[in-house]
Amino acid sequence: MSSSSPKGLSRIAANRLHKELKEWQMNPPAGFKHKVSDNLQRWIVEVNGAPNTLYENETYYLQVDFPENYPMEAPQVIFTHNPPLHPHIYSNGHICLDILYDSWSPAMTVSSICISILSMLSSSTEKARPVDNDRYVRNCRNGKSPKETRWWFHDDKV
Amino acid sequence: MSTGFVSANKQAEILKDQGNLYFKKNRISAAIEAYTEAITLCPKVATYWTNRALCHKKRNDWERVEADCRTALEIDKSSLKARYMLGIALLEKNEFSEAIKQLEKALDLSRGGTSDMVEVIWSEVGKAKYAEWEKVALPQQQKQKALREFCENALREDYKNSLFRLGSNNKAQSCGALYENIEDEMIDINSSDFLEIDKTTFEVSKLKSSFVEKKQTLDDVFDKAAEYYKPTEVPEFLCCKITMDLYRDPVITPSGITYERAILLDHLEKVGKFDPLTRAPLQAHELITNLAIKEAVKAYLAEHAWAYKTY
Repeated sequence: MSSSSPKGLSRIAANRLHKELKEWQMNPPAGFKHKVSDNLQRWIVEVNGAPNTLYENETYYLQVDFPENYPMEAPQVIFTHNPPLHPHIYSNGHICLDILYDSWSPAMTVSSICISILSMLSSSTEKARPVDNDRYVRNCRNGKSPKETRWWFHDDKV
Repeated sequence: MSTGFVSANKQAEILKDQGNLYFKKNRISAAIEAYTEAITLCPKVATYWTNRALCHKKRNDWERVEADCRTALEIDKSSLKARYMLGIALLEKNEFSEAIKQLEKALDLSRGGTSDMVEVIWSEVGKAKYAEWEKVALPQQQKQKALREFCENALREDYKNSLFRLGSNNKAQSCGALYENIEDEMIDINSSDFLEIDKTTFEVSKLKSSFVEKKQTLDDVFDKAAEYYKPTEVPEFLCCKITMDLYRDPVITPSGITYERAILLDHLEKVGKFDPLTRAPLQAHELITNLAIKEAVKAYLAEHAWAYKTY
């Protein structure tokens, strides 16, 4: 199994991701589906809005990219296609959520990140973009990762 | 010290540096020549031997790797590189238990080293232990399978014979039917003598339930024995929350959480000085080896040696 580990991941990262994927397949977090692919380093996860929330019956997609030294560093998590309208989600898919940046801990998993994101959606009381959306998105052109731009977020404490 | 001796030392160092340069350029023969000359001048320097061993390793020349590492260890018992390469060479030669011994010594020497190095040595130890187990387990598994088939056949044969005996004591014509329906639920007997049939049916059902019971016991015994060979899920409480693997060198934090030592040290250095699960402040010197969990993992592996595959 380890022989098939992708070039971009350390041995520890590949090993852990195999375990996480296996655990996910047996016990996926409610409201999420992992799109099956051979790429261990990039997961595409389908998110379904929870019942009785603003996002009920809506489907979104998360793109999760793992760094070489995962889990010592957080994965990069962004919404693709049409990101949900939410005061902490920018129109380019970047998510303002502290555990993805400064509050990351290697004991967290894709599963626990997904649960955090869903609870962030579920607790929302209005469907709106962050106040600084336009400025932020303009600054992010040239394909900047949210990890490079986190200090531009209007509010780092979510 | 004579001046001649000193110059031999210096010359040997120059040769070693040349060897290192050749090795970097992947000119293995030239590197081996340089190290060999260095060894001739100063045979008591362990590094010259381990560097030459590394060249032999690159060529998969395991006999020579072993020989050079053994010499290096005679000079310096604490050479991590020599222990490690000797372990690998022995593993290649299928000398598993000796390989494990050397790799475990390497692990002791690597304590406090980088997590990548510890990881590499651990995975070699796991490989060696799995290979050692497989060598014994596979033939054993075959033997059990054969014995199981043999016992099942004997049991079936015994049942058949009892039915035949019963049949010959009663109406001969029912024999065929009894025999055919040996493991079926319905016993179909073509006979007009109802009294005889009643008696026969009773005897048959007695034989049948005895057979079923024995077969069940036999299955239980062999299933239990086969568990030793069958990979299942490793219990979560024996796995580190960060590596998600069985503990190798578990340490406990003041929060009471246990982690794999190397990965936790990595975390403290690269992520932050806090307990990854509780986020309580944490310093490296506060960690204590969790001997109880270490013993538990050891006991678990003794019963589930297949788990070494991902160890």
